[in-house]
Amino acid sequence: MAGVISGDGQWAYVAAAYGLTAVMTGAVLWASWRAMAKAEKRSDALRADSRRSGTPRGDRK
Amino acid sequence: MDWTRGSASLKAARAMHAYANPTRFLAIAKPLTPWLLGVGLLLVLGGAFAGLTLVPGDYKQGETARILYVHVPSAWLGMGGWTSLAVAGLVQLVWRHPLSGIAARAIAVPGMLFTALCLATGSIWGKPTWGTWWEWDGRMTSMLVLLFLYAGFIALTTGDAGGGGGQRQGGSLSRGAAIYALVGAINIPIINRSVVWWNSLHQGPSITLRGSSIDNALLWPLGLTLLGFSLLFGAIVLMRMRRIIADTRVAARLRRLADDEDG
Repeated sequence: MAGVISGDGQWAYVAAAYGLTAVMTGAVLWASWRAMAKAEKRSDALRADSRRSGTPRGDRK
Repeated sequence: MDWTRGSASLKAARAMHAYANPTRFLAIAKPLTPWLLGVGLLLVLGGAFAGLTLVPGDYKQGETARILYVHVPSAWLGMGGWTSLAVAGLVQLVWRHPLSGIAARAIAVPGMLFTALCLATGSIWGKPTWGTWWEWDGRMTSMLVLLFLYAGFIALTTGDAGGGGGQRQGGSLSRGAAIYALVGAINIPIINRSVVWWNSLHQGPSITLRGSSIDNALLWPLGLTLLGFSLLFGAIVLMRMRRIIADTRVAARLRRLADDEDG
């Protein structure tokens, strides 16, 4: 049939699209999770430290 | 005076501001994040598996049509991301809701990610289908403009509070950044209608409110990837909001500690 795309090379394009999506989405998910965990750990440590030393809480806003 | 109406708008305002307190927001966001992440990943993996193995190839485009299952959710989330960002900007401008600015900043990075993925997967799909990686037509150019809009918003909101940037104390947006978000929303209907207004290599709208021109045999995995990527988008937004709130709290505590030492 005229205009029909065929051939084994098609799967290379499909693999490239899926691979790129997986790598980029995975990278943003991982970076966001890591940044969140690091920031919350720092915030919790500082709050615990403030409580021990009797400093007023800084999150009452 | 219509007291019933006044009461309804008061209730709506109360409901909106009920979660203005970050502590209340975090009580919901913390348990919700792993659920969105887990269910989103399962749906995406299931949809991708079905799209790659269970459904038949398209009768004309062959196997390359399987790119649909990652390309369409990316386009949807790129455009939906900016729409949400503009709504958050409006809420910040009108009601000064403290979380709206944080939400807008958290949406920008995943929004830019999916816009970039839409352009990249579209380009990969275009080469075997159209014979070219890129064409300066209405759909592709307006989508590229959206990518630049996201980059501009991120640059604007990354500046520090004292330097006249788009970020203010508490993670909220500056007036300029909120207006930028609203003005940028003009591009969304342009992207949507571009294939109707101008000649384009890109196909016309396949899924509308009146139905779909895609056969049901090919359509169902799209529902899975669309929902799955949307949940992952939500998870990324919640994670980034939680990070901004934690950073804001650390900055507030350090300021108080410094004030106490000075006093």
